[in-house]
Amino acid sequence: MNVERIKGLKFHKKQDVAIVGAGITTFKRRLNETGKELSYYAAKQALDEAGLSIKDVDMVVMGSAPDAFDGVHMKGEYLLDGSGGSDKPYMRVFVGGGTGVFAPIAGYWHVASGLADVCLVVCEEKMSSCYPHPQSAFKYIWDPILERPLKPNLIWIFALEMRRYMYVNNIKHEDIALVSVKNKANALDHPSAQLAARITVEDVLNSEPMALPVRRLDVSPPSDGASAIMMVASHIARQLTDEPVWVNGVGWALDTTWWTNRDLYFPRYVAEAARMAYKMAHITNPRKEVDVAEPYDPFDYKELHHMEGLGLAKKGEAHILTREGITARDGDLPICPSGGLLGVGNPIAATMGVKVAEIYWQLAYRAGKRQVAKEVTTGIAQAWGDLMQIGTVMVLSNKR
Amino acid sequence: MTFNEKIVNVRELKHVEGKIELYWIYTSGEAGDKFFKALKDEGKFLASKCSYCGKTYFPPRIYCEYDFSETEFIEISGEGRVRAFAVATLDSYEKPLENPEIYAIIDLDDTDGCIVHLLGEVEIKEVFIGMRVKPVLKPKEDREGRITDILYFKPS
Repeated sequence: MNVERIKGLKFHKKQDVAIVGAGITTFKRRLNETGKELSYYAAKQALDEAGLSIKDVDMVVMGSAPDAFDGVHMKGEYLLDGSGGSDKPYMRVFVGGGTGVFAPIAGYWHVASGLADVCLVVCEEKMSSCYPHPQSAFKYIWDPILERPLKPNLIWIFALEMRRYMYVNNIKHEDIALVSVKNKANALDHPSAQLAARITVEDVLNSEPMALPVRRLDVSPPSDGASAIMMVASHIARQLTDEPVWVNGVGWALDTTWWTNRDLYFPRYVAEAARMAYKMAHITNPRKEVDVAEPYDPFDYKELHHMEGLGLAKKGEAHILTREGITARDGDLPICPSGGLLGVGNPIAATMGVKVAEIYWQLAYRAGKRQVAKEVTTGIAQAWGDLMQIGTVMVLSNKR
Repeated sequence: MTFNEKIVNVRELKHVEGKIELYWIYTSGEAGDKFFKALKDEGKFLASKCSYCGKTYFPPRIYCEYDFSETEFIEISGEGRVRAFAVATLDSYEKPLENPEIYAIIDLDDTDGCIVHLLGEVEIKEVFIGMRVKPVLKPKEDREGRITDILYFKPS
């Protein structure tokens, strides 16, 4: 057993954990398929890429966000058969938008602990079932006494956060809009993409105002979809591939639920989660040691915000990296080469497919047209959710 | 009562009343769509058979739950046997039902699964486990492509 003792973090790892396959459905309004069917398509694809069958799978982790989207209470149980979990140890995890990276973190626990050698992680979201609009489900995440009577919605609070971020760091909307321009263009090379497009900064600034400063093209769309990854122990990985991608660190942290007591300009929850993951992965200078990253980008400013939380840019300076092209796919630090949520789509938990799965494909050199120009060793995937309070981070590397 | 709450009316406290105002449109999926079309338009029962292990699912699915192989659609009679039954005598507000309802798990012929549905045209005391039953459908013009297009199963 490897017992790692790093200051402030103690963990016992029974075995190393590798990702050896991934799958993703197209992201769009998928009225025809059920959530179970979407889960099946993604899981099957991940199994096929890994060269495994469902009978080889020891345990299954399902990630799916609020029950209110699919409209089935106990959604984890509902999705069981489509995700290959029948007759197996199976659990569903859910931390809102953070689920897309939290579910693979749970998969990591399963394998690293030695409980499973092969763990299938499936993430599903079918938002289109929910009326009057999927966003309506978010009306019920607030404190019922203090906040709900004011009828807040998510766009509203992100607008508050975006404005605070812009004010403290003296950043213009033009600088933020560049993220949307980049990610939607990156998505042109993603076969699953819902909103891939060549747009300009002016298009973003002139798009429909939603809750100012947030405009339509600052925001990712609601989508339906599923994704899956195969996580295996090192002795299994060796049998399957010469190019496994190792999970070298995981981290997660929640900031206070009293969100108005946080200073919204900086995502402390991401910084804390990253600190944990970096410690585990022995990363001391993320800007130099991370080659490619997929921070969570449901809004364009969030990519910048999260880059700063992840230590990939100094506070208030992420937009400079974007403007200078450093975060482009052929730049020195490619950010969201998948096209991200802004370009590929935002089926909450299923965004694992453009975060963890994308970094896996990048580090395995299997990203095809989306492969970044530079040589890559280490990448990070990050998601964010709950009452905009959880950061979930995974460090991946093609070297152990 | 074993507790002595002094406040029995919640509205005496400072409070907010809230409702979750959402509704859903559930689609029946790829397999469900074929199944319900056949039921509605032709009064036929479709199941699906795993192309690898041969397990037959009803209602049909596009995948085999146990080996993740694809399935093919087959037609079945819709007849089967009662595997278990329960008699509901109260409604959801705990009022006695004028006509108690019999819910049964029905083991459908030529499949590896059962469904739950109502029994009809039968006295409660006549129902037994292993009883042969067949489905009674709504008239074609009333069918909507839903599980309730089957009114109930009756002895055959």
